[in-house]
Amino acid sequence: MLKVENLYKNFGNIAAVDGISFEVKRGEVFGLLGPNGAGKSTTISIISTLLPPTEGEIFFEGESIFKNSKNLRQKLGIVPQDIALYPTLTGYENLRFWGNLYGLKGAELKERINEVADIIGLNERLKDKVKKYSGGMKRRLNIGAALLHKPDLLIMDEPTVGIDPQSRSHILDTVLKLSAQGMTIIYTTHYMEEAEELCSRICIMDEGKIIASGTKQELVELVKERTRINIKLDKITGNMPQIFKEIPGVSDAAVLDDTVTLFGENGDILLAEIISRISEEKSKIRSLDIQKPDLEAVFLHLTGKALRD
Amino acid sequence: MLSIVKLRLLSLRDNYMVFLVMTAMALGFTAVFGISFNTYRPSVIIVDEDNTPYSAEFIEELKQNQIFKFVDSDKENAIAGVEEGKILAALIIDEGFHDDIEQGNEIKIGQIKIKDDKYLLTLQETVRGIIVKMAGSERISKVTANFVSLQKPGADKEKIKSAAYESVMDSWKFKKPLKVTSTMANTRIQSGYDSMKQSMIGFTVFFSMYTMVFSIGTILSDKRYKTWERMLISPVSMSSILSGTMVVSFLVGMIQMSVLILGGRYLFGIDWGNSLAGIIMITTVFVFTITSFGLLLSAIVKTEAQLGAVAPVVLTSTSMLGGTMWPLEIVNNKLLLFLAELTPQKWAMQGMLNIAAKGMGFESAILPSIVLLLMGMIFFTIGVKTVK
Repeated sequence: MLKVENLYKNFGNIAAVDGISFEVKRGEVFGLLGPNGAGKSTTISIISTLLPPTEGEIFFEGESIFKNSKNLRQKLGIVPQDIALYPTLTGYENLRFWGNLYGLKGAELKERINEVADIIGLNERLKDKVKKYSGGMKRRLNIGAALLHKPDLLIMDEPTVGIDPQSRSHILDTVLKLSAQGMTIIYTTHYMEEAEELCSRICIMDEGKIIASGTKQELVELVKERTRINIKLDKITGNMPQIFKEIPGVSDAAVLDDTVTLFGENGDILLAEIISRISEEKSKIRSLDIQKPDLEAVFLHLTGKALRD
Repeated sequence: MLSIVKLRLLSLRDNYMVFLVMTAMALGFTAVFGISFNTYRPSVIIVDEDNTPYSAEFIEELKQNQIFKFVDSDKENAIAGVEEGKILAALIIDEGFHDDIEQGNEIKIGQIKIKDDKYLLTLQETVRGIIVKMAGSERISKVTANFVSLQKPGADKEKIKSAAYESVMDSWKFKKPLKVTSTMANTRIQSGYDSMKQSMIGFTVFFSMYTMVFSIGTILSDKRYKTWERMLISPVSMSSILSGTMVVSFLVGMIQMSVLILGGRYLFGIDWGNSLAGIIMITTVFVFTITSFGLLLSAIVKTEAQLGAVAPVVLTSTSMLGGTMWPLEIVNNKLLLFLAELTPQKWAMQGMLNIAAKGMGFESAILPSIVLLLMGMIFFTIGVKTVK
């Protein structure tokens, strides 16, 4: 459905997007996973024709979007990272305006507004001005505005940033429902667990490049021998990552806040040695868990840093 | 485009205060300035060094003028009064005034003044008008006396001339002001300064510009709300978004200008002249020009805060240059007059004053309208190319 070929975007000397290529198939939820500044939003801006690329080509349904953007724009729904709504208008007026913009009017528009209000769970609040909505409600309306014209391709750019768990859960459920209805979705996030839960295929981006891509299983295969051990400590000493890396069998170690994350081939065997080293550093364990390899491990393995660094 | 028009109209629901405040400001300032200057009567000293019946008549005519307070005095007092700023100016009727009128010579009235201002302009016009009237009457009476003495030899020519002169001068009293205005327009003589009209037109132009510029500035709030980018990636083109926004700003500007023109008519009794079509034409073109100027400003600045900082400076300074706050006739500096030519306000003022204050017709609004239209097209083209 969408094919990105050798895409580059430079801002001065900075390469925001550095030669990426990928393909999105009809009906799938395609994830773009990466830390802040990885180039995900720039890629989305180019796909949505908001930014011209420095180099490269994008085809939508076989046609270059840079030669003819009309077809794409009519069939594309965008959920921008920022809330893009009019706070002084009501939820209903916002939906009506965005529906109008895509050519919907009259009874058809009313019907679609009601359907979308059901999907995003805001039927009861549509008459209120958006400035009175909570952050989560605004996020949901932000999604609703992109669904009115039943887009063939929906791009969601970090739609769950900064919201409460309940709204987040509602949004993830909505994505799964839309996917079940056959909608093609590109979902960008820096939350690994969202990508794991929602996406059938995932591209991991870092510093403008795609560093890995495939299904979750394919990606985890890259680090299948790596068990992840998260240890929350009461204090972290400066040389802890190095101390842990010196333990035979530990391949990587990273510290984030008060938590040490270690990767090794066999967690159970390593555990005794790890606990011993922590005692030597006169630190106490607050909690400990052992996880099978996941996308975080893949990212750490490929880049040497944690996904949320 | 219709969806954008609907959106902008909806937004007006929350931004109507700008419209109301600017309308009230224009009417309020007109009331304060127009009425203040209308009731104020600057003093002018008359020094009569001719002391003849004609000079006495000239003074009598002057004193019928309600704009100034004329006081008889001598030259010393006149100089002192002007120097101390107690009086606006002094008029010196030189010896030989009577003879000059009688012989049809060029008549000169001496003036003592410090600087030109709008009142002096009016005073000069008043003096010129009286002299034209007296000289004309003198010529008519001479011709009449010659004619009668030819027809009736032996008749007292001086008596006939005197009677004819009185008769002609009397007849002026029954002339309707409209006729006088018309004569002046035809002879390309500028009519007197009317502070109420100057204030009304000036403040209408000045305050309505704010409403129009801030109305088109809604594209900056789109950028703040991030809806601008969302609109740009929709099937609606940039030109439709801008056109829809401009249509509403244009309508807002037209409504405000109309309210102010009607307010001037019914609140202050302002006579907008004999060419309603001319006033409508100049208003329409001016609103287009300022809406386009607002688009250009909104394209150059990045945020509403920047527009809020830049617009008042630009609008006020160009309004001062363009003569919305005082008549350009009192400005002598060539650079300032040249800069005035570059402001839309100057051309809007000129077009409206030509019709409302000088009694000219529709044709007097054509040149100002063409200039405004050209300015508007330039602003629009650059604005559309600059906005992102």
